[in-house]
Parts: sequence; C-alpha cells; structure tokens
Amino acid sequence: MKLSAHYTKASLLISVAVLFAGAVIYFFAINYIATNQLDRNLSQALSEAEEYVRTTPAEPQQYDLDQDHAVFLKTDRQAFKRRYFDTVYHNFRENRTEAGRAVEDLIKAGNRRYKVIITVSRESTRSLVEIISLITVVLIAGLLLVLFITNKYILNGLWRPFYSTLREIKTFDVAGKAQFSAKSSKVEEFTELNSAIYEMSARVKAEYSDLKAFTETASHELMTPLAVAITKLDTLIQDETLRPDQLTQITDIYASINKSTRLNQALLLLIKLDNELIRDDESINLKAAVLEKIMQFHELAQSKHLVIVSRLADKEIVASKYLIDILLNNLFSNAIRHNLQFGNIDIDLNANQLVFKNTGSPVNLIAEQIFKRFQKGKDSQGLGLGLTLVKNICRQYRFDINYRFADDNHIVSITFPKIS
Amino acid sequence: MKILVIEDEPGLRENITTYLNTDGNICESCADLETALVRLTDHQYDCVLLDIGLPDGDGFTVLDHLKVDRKMEAVLIISARNSLDDRLKGLNIGADDYLTKPFHLAELKARLMAVFRRKTLNTNSKLVFNEIVIDVLARSVEVNAESVILTKKEYDMLLYFLANKGRVISKNAIAEHLWRDEMDMQDNFDFIYTHIKNLRRKLMDAGAPDYLRSVYGIGYKFVAP
Repeated sequence: MKLSAHYTKASLLISVAVLFAGAVIYFFAINYIATNQLDRNLSQALSEAEEYVRTTPAEPQQYDLDQDHAVFLKTDRQAFKRRYFDTVYHNFRENRTEAGRAVEDLIKAGNRRYKVIITVSRESTRSLVEIISLITVVLIAGLLLVLFITNKYILNGLWRPFYSTLREIKTFDVAGKAQFSAKSSKVEEFTELNSAIYEMSARVKAEYSDLKAFTETASHELMTPLAVAITKLDTLIQDETLRPDQLTQITDIYASINKSTRLNQALLLLIKLDNELIRDDESINLKAAVLEKIMQFHELAQSKHLVIVSRLADKEIVASKYLIDILLNNLFSNAIRHNLQFGNIDIDLNANQLVFKNTGSPVNLIAEQIFKRFQKGKDSQGLGLGLTLVKNICRQYRFDINYRFADDNHIVSITFPKIS
Repeated sequence: MKILVIEDEPGLRENITTYLNTDGNICESCADLETALVRLTDHQYDCVLLDIGLPDGDGFTVLDHLKVDRKMEAVLIISARNSLDDRLKGLNIGADDYLTKPFHLAELKARLMAVFRRKTLNTNSKLVFNEIVIDVLARSVEVNAESVILTKKEYDMLLYFLANKGRVISKNAIAEHLWRDEMDMQDNFDFIYTHIKNLRRKLMDAGAPDYLRSVYGIGYKFVAP
C-alpha cells in the first residue's frame, strides 16, 4: 500500500472516530439544552397555572392551551417535590401521541391543594435535534469526502517529486554517462533527499571510473614486465647447456605468463565493453563468419573426433568485427572444450537466433551464474572470463543470451533484437 | 638489414637488440624520443621498431617525422595497448604493423622480416635459403626448383622458422604465432608436433636436408648447417 493510501486510511479512520464521538456528544448536549429549555418553559407554565388557580375561586379546569396541557387533581398532601419527567403527550388537534415533557407540583390556593401536571410536546425540540443531526451528518460526509479528495490528489501531487527521484534511482547506471538530475522541489525533505542522492551518485560514479581507470592502467602497466619476462626466457632458452627438465620448467613459466596475459587482455576488453569504447560497427554476414570459424576450429574439433553440424541461414548484423570474432571464438572453444570424445556440435543460425548445442557432461553451475566472472567448471582449463565476455558483447548489441542444459546437451542461444 | 629499436624499458631493449643482432643485421637502440629523432635524421635504417609509450612523448611523433621526411623505413609498432584506436591510428599514419606486448622475440623477428619484405617487395619478392625458395607474393615454395605444396599452417611455420633460423623457438611461441590467442596453448602442442612432422617430411621428400631439430622439453630449432 502506498504511503498516501496509508495516510488517507489513517486520517479517514481517525476523522470518522472523532466525528462520531463528537456527534454523540453533540446529540446529548443538544438534548440536554433542549430539555433544560423545556423545563424552564414548564416552570413558567407552572407559575401561570398557580396564578390561574389563585385567581380562580372555582375548581380549576383542565386546560389545553396552545402548547401545554394542564391537569389539576385535588390532593391532601402537604408537601410535594416538584418533578420533571418525560412522558407521552396527546395532541388533540393533530390527534396523535407525541413525546412530551411534563412537570408535576403542588399548588396551594388558600387551603385548597392541587396536584398539577403540565405536559408540553417535545415535537419541536425533536425536529430541532433532527435538523441539527442531519446537518451534522452532511457536514461529516462532506468533510470525509473533502479529506479523501485532498489526500488522493494533493498528497499524490506532493509525492510526485519522490516518484520521479525513485524512477531515476531505478534507472541509475554506475557506468552510464547520465548524471542524477537532483531536481529541487517545493518540499524541503525531497530537495534534501535529491541532493543527498546526487552527491552519493556522483561519488559512486567517480569512484567507479577511478577504479576502471586504475584497472586499465594497471593492466597496461603489467604488459611491459610480462614482455620483459617472455623476452628474457626467449633469450635464456638459446643456452645449449640447459637440461631438458629445466627447459620443461621454462615451458610451464611460458604457459603461466601466457595465461596472465590473456587474463589481462580479457579484463581490458571487459572494461572497454563496459564503457562501450569499441565502436567500429560494420555490416557483418554472420553465416560467413561462422563458416570461417568452423574451418578455423576444424583441427581442434577433429582431435576430439567431434562432428560439427551447421544449419546456417544468411544473417546480416551490424557490429564490430573484432567483437564478433571474440564472441564466436569463445562459443566455439567452449563447445569443443566442454564436449565429449566423439561428441556433436550443432550450430543453428536463422534470422532470429544463433544456437550452439553441444554434447557434454552436466556442469554443476546454475544457468544464471554461468555468465559471471570467474565462474567455471571444476575441470575447466579456461580463464573463466569467456562467457562473461560473450554476455557483455551480447549486451552491447542488445542480443539476448541464454544458457541451458537439456538432454545431455549444453545449449547457448543468442536471440537477435527484433527489427522495428 | 639495419634496425633501430626505440624502447624505454631497458630489459626489453637489450634482449631485443641482442636477438636481432645476427644474420648480418645491425641493430641499434635508443630509449627516448629525442635521441630517436636525432638518429633517424642522421642515419638511414631499413626497419624501425617503435614503442608508442615513451617517457618524453608519444611514439606517434616518430611516425609523423618519418612521413614528413619521406623516409622509407618499415615501422613496426610495439605497445602495451591493444586499443583499436591506437592500432588504426598507427597504421593510418605510416606504421606497417602493430605488435602488442607481451610478445615472443621470435614473433618480433618474423614480423620485422615480414614488414621489411613488404617494403622491398619490388626488388625482393623471393626468399631464398639454400635450396628452398619461397615466393612471398604467390605464397608458393620450391625446393631444388621443384614445387612443394604446403598447407597454410605449414607455410606460416616455414616462414617463421626461416626468420628465426639457428634459434630455439618455444612451442608456446609457435602456438601463439599459428593460432594467436584463439585457443588454450596446451591444446595446441600436439598439433604443432603434427604440423612440424608434415613440414619436415615434405621438405625432405623434395630433397632438402633435415633442418628441423626438436629441442626436448621446450620446442624446435631450424638448424642452418
């Protein structure tokens, strides 16, 4: 649930509760005030009745005035406590029974004593309470509606900068060129948030590009000492007095240097790909490129007695020849390296997809992890960067790459973007 | 052949100079841009080996200098950077080839010979070694005036060995030369053996002596008697 919805819900609940409590208190208060008023009217009527009894020598008659209705009963009691009470009032004119309020008291006129009961209708008070209640209810409903609308629209409007910030954070790319915009907002908190994020993103970007520059420089700097090591070895092996076992050691040193070199080159290439620095796109016939690679890897495939079956359709793509070469090299060498003796390699190329399928034993690698740096099978002699390179090259050209293992086959499929 | 090596790393410079200073080649070296420009103005070289990253400036300055002076030196660039930009930039302003560090001395020599051959193709399109004659334009090989059919890899290997005759060449260097960095080297050692065996057989069948000697544990040597 969104914050504004939470807020609306809470504020509506509290408003309803407060208004409801208020309405109850209001109702009783009005009732109380109205009853008091009635009681005052009744005392007035009582004094009038007293006056009437005193001035009328005859037996006081029951009378029914406009509003009050008085009954006189002769009594012998000496004292009587005045009492107000709710009762029923019979309206003769309307000929119906209504709620009423009555007072009873003792009236003395000389030695005559009467118990008098004066009743008035509560009808007018009741309608007053009804009208007030109705107005209150309408007010409550109106207030709730206004609250709801305000919360919905004004609050959402207030939160708009937050959502635009959120969108920017979601699309934030540490390697990208786009800077965080750090818009200022009318709301102080959002302005503060944006400037905090701006500073953070700038710092992150700076650190990241420093790190990349450092990696690139370090990788380049490493090449010269490696070159020195190789040329020294090249000179050393000219020495005819070296024993075969010493020469075998030197071969291993060569292999290590070669591996460091290739690791370094792969890292450099990854950095270039991250920065999208390789921009020598040209039109490439993928079919021809794949056929050329089949020729090139023929020897290696034959050493494992692999059968390469290809179904290739003409497919033109626009990409860097250099990168496509690396892509195909990695796909081929993986398909051969992770294959079985007398295995198969199926290569399918059509307008939508390039699929490499090769027999092999299952690797205990999760499909999502296989493209990560330095993820490789136990027995792999590779650098662990090949598929990462493949993936990053695919990413540069918006190709979709997938790996799965099915029916004892490793399947890598590259889906080309739809031409719009 | 007269060669100038412009390289600031002393370890590299000495090894390169020593390795190239054979077969009647004269190899001189210098460590910075200033000396290099003086040398190039005063002397005539056949080949220049140029490191792009020099302490006192960009190696491309040397290329500009050669171009302005209309010098005919073949230039082979060596650089730690394999950046595509550098490569294109170098080749566009007059370099003949580009070699990325690290490299084997045998590779350097072979490339140097190749750029030199390309520069002097008009006068020198045939490479002759005893009874072996290679036409680098037609990519054909004759032994005792008799044509020998070689595969592409065997042909490349023969040129490579001829450029480095009398030197022990490691299997690693041969693998890198023939396959670049397409595959793991360990995979290729068996193929090298096969290719060498075939090449040796073809040359000997045509009447050449056995030039190829195996150096146990490390590689091969093309022995010039």
